[in-house]
Amino acid sequence: MSLTMKNISFIVGMILLFLILWGAGYLAGGPEGYTGFGESADISPDDEEITFVYAHKGESAIYTAPVSGGNAELVTKAAEGNYLMNPTFSPDGEAIAYVEQWEDDDEHPLGKLMLFNHADGGVKELTDEKGLVTEAAFSPDGQSLYFSKAGVYTNYSPIASENPHDFDIYRIDLNTKEIEQITDEGAYDMSDLDLTPDGETLMYRSYDGADQLVFHDLKDGSETTVTPIGDFATGVPMIYSPALSADGKYIAFSDVARTSENGTYIYEGYRMPLDTKQAEQITSFGEHVTKPVFFNHQDKLIVTVDKAFATSSEPDYSYWVVNADGEGRERIQIEIP
Amino acid sequence: MNRIEKHVEEILKQMQSTECEREEIREELLSHLNEAKSDYISEGLSEKQAEKKVIAAFGESNRIGQGLQESMYPYQRGLLYFIGISTILFGFIFYLHLSFVIHEPSPVWLVVQLLSGSIVTLAAINISTFGRYFYLLNALLMVNIIWNGINIVSMQGLSQWQALFFSIYLLIVVGMGFVFVFRNSYYSTSQVDGKHQKQWLVKFSYIMNLLYGVIIIVLSLFFLWSILFFAGINKQAFITLLPILIWLAFYKFQMNFIAKKPVLSLATGLLVSVSALVLSFIILRISYGG
Repeated sequence: MSLTMKNISFIVGMILLFLILWGAGYLAGGPEGYTGFGESADISPDDEEITFVYAHKGESAIYTAPVSGGNAELVTKAAEGNYLMNPTFSPDGEAIAYVEQWEDDDEHPLGKLMLFNHADGGVKELTDEKGLVTEAAFSPDGQSLYFSKAGVYTNYSPIASENPHDFDIYRIDLNTKEIEQITDEGAYDMSDLDLTPDGETLMYRSYDGADQLVFHDLKDGSETTVTPIGDFATGVPMIYSPALSADGKYIAFSDVARTSENGTYIYEGYRMPLDTKQAEQITSFGEHVTKPVFFNHQDKLIVTVDKAFATSSEPDYSYWVVNADGEGRERIQIEIP
Repeated sequence: MNRIEKHVEEILKQMQSTECEREEIREELLSHLNEAKSDYISEGLSEKQAEKKVIAAFGESNRIGQGLQESMYPYQRGLLYFIGISTILFGFIFYLHLSFVIHEPSPVWLVVQLLSGSIVTLAAINISTFGRYFYLLNALLMVNIIWNGINIVSMQGLSQWQALFFSIYLLIVVGMGFVFVFRNSYYSTSQVDGKHQKQWLVKFSYIMNLLYGVIIIVLSLFFLWSILFFAGINKQAFITLLPILIWLAFYKFQMNFIAKKPVLSLATGLLVSVSALVLSFIILRISYGG
């Protein structure tokens, strides 16, 4: 074969290879979407059920399941292309509030606050479709919902990724549907809302040069910050996904316990009494532990464990019951219908 | 052009020698074959018969050419084929993986991957055209190395075992690329005046200068990865690749310089490498408003 023929054959072969592969890729179809559990779960007031998000090929829905494990029951599904997050039980267990998010034409997320009622099985939209609501917490009397909303979705620094910022907290009266702005901070970050049992103080996690826990007095608007004391691998605590106990005396959160051999932060669950602020590690999964939630009547918590943290582009969440003293753990085995 | 001259040209098509070296080989082969031809003619054969006989006795042009290429530039052509075809094969395997496992095929990536492998393979096929330009070959290989380096960086999003498998594969291809560039640079030395230089010193200088290149490529790709990871795709991020371009452009002069002044070239290589990094860092800072 002459050199020219060799060149022509090779180039034609490459073009054919490209076309075949391109065709194969086209036939293989687009991404299937995430299948698996969502990051956050909540426990019912009677400690019998958990509510969580489960997505099947990108279609997300809210479910409930017995805390002891078993068959899940579908509560409500997201509209096509939307995704659900942060479900939370009302204090009487009759309603579940959650956030439904989607992306606008610029691929920026938007989110609205939703409320599912067990009584009639109906779902109500509590906020409009213009903002980016991220999560919500019921007031202890169940008459209102506090929710966080981001003002912008951007990156303040070119070397940071785009994220929701300019946060503030709002309250919606569930009877009148009136919305009242609670904070006026335009915070860089704001998450993990919770209320003290007397309903007078709002707790949230914020960022102001460092991660911090803020207690916002709903009467006079004054704020105090709490910093846990403890043995954290990063030196300063990151206080990831804090949650208040039912009696308001403890805070559970996730923080960096150590660094793995390949340099990944290992997050474990911590519990901190609010009076001493001395945080103690209560889990030892050696994996990514997040979103602790206290039981209401037992000295236990539910935590979410991500077995694929930092090793895969998609998470692999599972829910576990752990004792507050750090002894014993059990996975909640859930069968999705 | 008579048969013998044609035969010699065919032989030379299998070799990467420079024009100067090509001329020497051409003269040598022609004088040897013409001498044999004269012998046959003196034995009573016609000119054409003598030429045929000389060519038959000397051997098939492709085989002789490849033999000469291997004796003068051992394994270089084979390395080019290995790197080119391995790059294409990776495109084939990984695109199927993207299509059927991850379900996010990227035709643009496939085009770049196949082009990167095809250019190196075409250089191997057309060794007599490409091979005589040592810097061009090095530049082609460096582009292949950088692209496969970017591939390694992007493997980190995969699951652990997938990332490990593909990264090892690509590291071997990249490693072979560096081996080729080192050897190719060294062979180019014989084309430059300065044969009085100690050869080990020249080799050492090439290794060190390539090491600067490796460090620059690793650093640049690391910064590129960091910015892309934290900020997503944006144009400014690619300023991080500027040191590689500066180093690559300078390497053209450096190849000559190493052959002539191996010790001094260690310093110039280091100076340019550091300057390239500092310059890019300053541009990056300014472009990010910091």
